[in-house]
Amino acid sequence: MENADWLDVTASLNGEEEAYARLVRRYEQPITGLLWRFTRDPAQCEELVQQVFVEAYFSLKTYRGDAPLLHWLRRIATRTGYRFWRARAKEPVEAALPEDFLEQVEAVDDDEIDPAEAAAVLHALLARLPDDDRLVLTLMYFEDVGTKDIAERMGWSRAKVKTQALRARRKIREIAERERLLEKLGWTR
Amino acid sequence: MDALEGLAKLARRAREEQTPVFGVADAVRLRIRSAAPQPITLIPLGVFGGMSAVAASIFVILAVELWNYMVSPVMELVAPLPEIPLW
Repeated sequence: MENADWLDVTASLNGEEEAYARLVRRYEQPITGLLWRFTRDPAQCEELVQQVFVEAYFSLKTYRGDAPLLHWLRRIATRTGYRFWRARAKEPVEAALPEDFLEQVEAVDDDEIDPAEAAAVLHALLARLPDDDRLVLTLMYFEDVGTKDIAERMGWSRAKVKTQALRARRKIREIAERERLLEKLGWTR
Repeated sequence: MDALEGLAKLARRAREEQTPVFGVADAVRLRIRSAAPQPITLIPLGVFGGMSAVAASIFVILAVELWNYMVSPVMELVAPLPEIPLW
């Protein structure tokens, strides 16, 4: 653990509010980036970021310091995002692919695609998967996280993550083919 | 191009996305303050404890008094019968 983190964690445990605020400011952006993969609604995302840091504060005494603080925060954030999806699953929302974007990029070279638009398309595609499949592919595609790391974050076995990834890839391929995604993106060449 | 390759390419572009900046430190601080358990005030606890102690003392005194007046039915069986003149 970095020395600054260690000092701030210790001070936070001793009740020093400003020390914890420093930790929040230090790690807010990577945690926001991760939770942005779970919801693209800014208000919901901000709420989730706050939840993560509140939960982390009350769990701080369980943090042993054997891994960087950011890894520990990412684990809390991943589980928070997953819980958010599970809660929303009770009220299913049909995620539609942004058609405007697909029309726009048809003739555009793939390197010129706006990253935000690419993220929106990918998000909408992955939203059509069941939560477990969606989580595995979200972390793999958006965050470039390996199966071992996903297993650690979620407390799942690595075998489960690998099986889930295989199944999820098969499903997303079917969806992409059904949607004729590559054709719409102009990537069929 | 395979659909999965296309998705991987899309993902590479998506990773370059700029994510929003919220600045949640103050809001988190407020939420922690409101969620933290309030320190227990000792005065009401002391008053309650004192009242309980007084009630317990009264109960014990009454119980001892009552005990002294109680006569065990078993003891009555073995106790010598008082001599009662029959005639």
